[in-house]
Amino acid sequence: MSYYIRLALRYLWGRKLRTILTTLAIAFGTMLIFGMNGLVPAVEAAYRQQLMQAASQVDLTITGETRSSFPETALEVVRGTPGVAHASGSLVRPVVVPPADAPLLPDGSRLGTIVLSGIDPETAPQVRRFEVVSGRLLQPGDRNVLVVSESLARKASLEPGDRLRLPSATGVATFEIVGVIAGEPGAVSDEVYTPLPVAQALLNQPGRINTIEALVVPGSDARAVREAALARLGSGFKLGENQVGSELQAAVEMGEVAFNLFGVLTLAMGGFIIFNTFRTVVVERRRDIGMLRAVGASRRAVIGLILTESLLQGVVGTAAGLCGGYFLALGMGAIVGPIWSQALRLSLGGPVFKPATYVLAIGLGIGVTLVAGLWPAVSAGRVTPLEALRPAEGEASWKPARRRAAFGLALVVVAVLGLASGNLNLASLGAVLFLAGLVLVGPVLVRPIAGVFGRLLELVLAQEGRIAEGNLARQPGRAAITASAMTIGLAILVALGGMTTSLESGLFRYIDQSLGADYLLMPHSMVLGGGNVGAGPELAEAVRSVPGIAEVTTVRLAMGRIGDTDVQTIGIDPESYPRVAGLEFSAGEPEEAFAALAEGRALIANGIFSAQSRLQVGEELTLQTPEGPKTYRVAGIGMDFLNAKLATVYVSQENLARDLHETSDILLMADRAADADPAEVRAQLERIVAQYPAFSLLSGDEMREEYKQMYGMAMRLLHLLMVTLAIPSLIALMNTLGINVLERTREIGVLRAVGSTRRQVQRMIVGESLLLSALGTAFGLLGGLWLGYVLVGALNATGFKMSYFFPYSGIVLAVAVGLVFGVIAALLPARRAARLDLLAALRYE
Amino acid sequence: MAIVETKELTKVYGRGDAAVTALRKVDLRVEPGEFVAVMGPSGCGKSTLLHLVGGLDRPTSGRVALNGQDLSELSDDALTRLRRREIGFVFQFYNLIPVLKAAENVALPLVLDGVSPRKAQSQAQLWLERVGLSDRTDHRPDELSGGQQQRVAIARALASEPALILADEPTGNLDSRAGDEIATLLRRVVDEWKRTVLMVTHDPRIAAYADRIIFLKDGTVVDEARLVGGNDGAEKLVRQRMEDL
Repeated sequence: MSYYIRLALRYLWGRKLRTILTTLAIAFGTMLIFGMNGLVPAVEAAYRQQLMQAASQVDLTITGETRSSFPETALEVVRGTPGVAHASGSLVRPVVVPPADAPLLPDGSRLGTIVLSGIDPETAPQVRRFEVVSGRLLQPGDRNVLVVSESLARKASLEPGDRLRLPSATGVATFEIVGVIAGEPGAVSDEVYTPLPVAQALLNQPGRINTIEALVVPGSDARAVREAALARLGSGFKLGENQVGSELQAAVEMGEVAFNLFGVLTLAMGGFIIFNTFRTVVVERRRDIGMLRAVGASRRAVIGLILTESLLQGVVGTAAGLCGGYFLALGMGAIVGPIWSQALRLSLGGPVFKPATYVLAIGLGIGVTLVAGLWPAVSAGRVTPLEALRPAEGEASWKPARRRAAFGLALVVVAVLGLASGNLNLASLGAVLFLAGLVLVGPVLVRPIAGVFGRLLELVLAQEGRIAEGNLARQPGRAAITASAMTIGLAILVALGGMTTSLESGLFRYIDQSLGADYLLMPHSMVLGGGNVGAGPELAEAVRSVPGIAEVTTVRLAMGRIGDTDVQTIGIDPESYPRVAGLEFSAGEPEEAFAALAEGRALIANGIFSAQSRLQVGEELTLQTPEGPKTYRVAGIGMDFLNAKLATVYVSQENLARDLHETSDILLMADRAADADPAEVRAQLERIVAQYPAFSLLSGDEMREEYKQMYGMAMRLLHLLMVTLAIPSLIALMNTLGINVLERTREIGVLRAVGSTRRQVQRMIVGESLLLSALGTAFGLLGGLWLGYVLVGALNATGFKMSYFFPYSGIVLAVAVGLVFGVIAALLPARRAARLDLLAALRYE
Repeated sequence: MAIVETKELTKVYGRGDAAVTALRKVDLRVEPGEFVAVMGPSGCGKSTLLHLVGGLDRPTSGRVALNGQDLSELSDDALTRLRRREIGFVFQFYNLIPVLKAAENVALPLVLDGVSPRKAQSQAQLWLERVGLSDRTDHRPDELSGGQQQRVAIARALASEPALILADEPTGNLDSRAGDEIATLLRRVVDEWKRTVLMVTHDPRIAAYADRIIFLKDGTVVDEARLVGGNDGAEKLVRQRMEDL
């Protein structure tokens, strides 16, 4: 082992507690970045894989460009293409199995979403190989029968002869399983096959298909045939299977950025602690370093030694962070999984750690540690050999440098610009720059702030308070660097407090606005396009006919495409929808917008889509539909709660039927008449919903309660993270107070020699710590309020419209944490100062 | 050729009104194999002289030459190499690395010079044996007495086989018995191991172990004495000279 590594290890081992605490700070940041980045792809993968149709081994697959269905006549066009030997059409859609009808799985949960393929029993086997495992294949003339994939059969213990109930447009349909087939190689979906007409009826898509598969004549050029077929079909078609997920892209990216921002802030704090620790190390070891230099160690060797120590901590901390991150992702998956499965009817797989995630976490973990160690290492390199013989006192203090403050101010300005840009990546960078700027500006603010707080302190600790204040004012640089440890921790606390308060009020306003009806007939997946089977017009009629129901409105859904983005296209009734529910508008007038929807091809874009595509009201967009491209005018920007995270546009149901051929209701909302008996109305509605297992009946209040619980759980997790975030700042404060005591050993000796009692010395250190934490808290509040405000602003810019709420509770918490930390952090250094051997302290150089 | 030679060596700390002249045009010659002590009252510049000779500090004017090599011509890296190979330092507070064992502390200059760890370790063992600490090689500094720590420091100073040992108040932190042991050891460094020792001390009893004593006052060499005969006589002589200062 290299001598330097051995020496570094010995030094680290010699200060076990400090080594562990500082390493933990790095581990913590790495854990967050690694864990969260492992969880996000798992969420994405679950969404994509389970809702995506499996790729098959055919020569030619054609689907609608917008993921919508198209008329069966397209099949004839493909068949008529020269070079096509066989072609078969199918209607493939994910379907949520209602929980009451879903088979139990071995892990105790119920089957969630399956992929239903309506196929032509005659032509499908001509293009695909179906290998029967048990039972038989579909036959012409079959009605409600299913053939299931082997993987699903195994998972849900299904076999020929079993029955499975699936939701349909008219309520529910019972199917008999007649066969089990081997799945396509590499297929991950739980697939079931039924005759095409049955699927069309089930999904309210008569005469329509969404996939054509074909084989070409042997020996012909498959590529040329594909192109010829596509050309004959005209616009609105594409080669390849239906892909799911681009409407989720923005939400996934935002989730990743938010987690990364959190992780980077934590790592920044970890880096800051490392920086502080190594500053302590360099002060503590001045004599050792001087001696090393005296006996022939070069500057580079000394820098190398300190960097080796920080590298060792970085490597160990990062490794621990990776392990912790893995378990964090597992743990979060275990907590989020059931919620996810309940809300979306999709099962969440294990965490997915991509190579890029490793690179990011390892790079940041070790990189931050090395960068943090660099400055102290360079200052260690500057220690002269003379200091082995005659160490100077308090060299590590920094005078308030105007240039540094100006640079800090410039950083703050750049940060403001980054945050004002509305780009979340720039905003994240801006947040870090802002805090860094504040730390640099800090020293020039120390004197005035210490003056104000010092007067308060003198009321409690008269003499010692004055000395403490003087100590701070004398070393503003050192005081600022100590206080900034608190600043970063508390700024994060206050900012998150501000953001969660604002988020909470914003979310509940959305819920009230868009799901504020008295009764909701909700599908089982909260992602409307996630396999929910809509109902035909009979359901809305039935609800409307219930005595005591004043108004009913419904929501329909199809997939469209604008530019390169798949957009959920939601069909609403422009008249009844605003009366029963409504959208939260961020641009345009609600009344005008809904009126525009009723009048012609107009749409309301939701926030995330408009932010992604930088839309303006009045702008014209081209919506790709199975009927070809259609021009829609943006009548407003507004959003509802359920679709807030997905790129979505709202159009009239009339236009949805005309352009996207979708007439099924996927969500129904109803208001009760003022004089109606709630119990009676509910009982009637329950009877209706019992016929439609794809829906569950909820009152508006129940709905809010359900979301409140879900939100509460998420908040508890966040609060836990916030508290753990605050702990590293305590470590940093303790570390820097430790340096203060160390640097002033002789001064403390003098105080004791001229008659200060141990208790007075203790009170002086506590007073200093309180002043420092007051300073840190003041900066932290300032930074946190601003940071919170711009974070909410950045969220607004990404499409989540919400007002900023002043985080009173966050501020009270931060002040309390600041004071308590001030005292706790002072305990050890104060004890150390009070116990200093008087003579040794006086001799200390 | 003298191993150490200074010409009009001057060192001024601070500027303007606050300027303090620590050394003023000091001319000094130390021949190979000599044991020279530098004495003088507090603040006379004796430590400054040692630092300049050791290349730890740069003079304001004048020159220092080691074996004819002018130190002012050397870069920081070259000075570092010179300290590593040509000079051994012994400090008042021993300055051992607290986390390293005795043998590892002794091996340190060799390791810094790129000697293989095994060879450095065996060299360190040898020197610890010579200074009478063969049974303490695996002890850390806090497990050793002050006198033992200083012997480890002397072994460290000798490990890289330097021609010159610079000792700054090597007995200043020790009781008289341990001080005598260290002075005796420094005497052996010259007599037995044929090194040159330049030692700063304020203790006449320790200075009496040297061959020659240089007296400094207010930054200038004011007297010089060559010691012959027993320690007792030398000590008396040194005390007398110190009183005269």
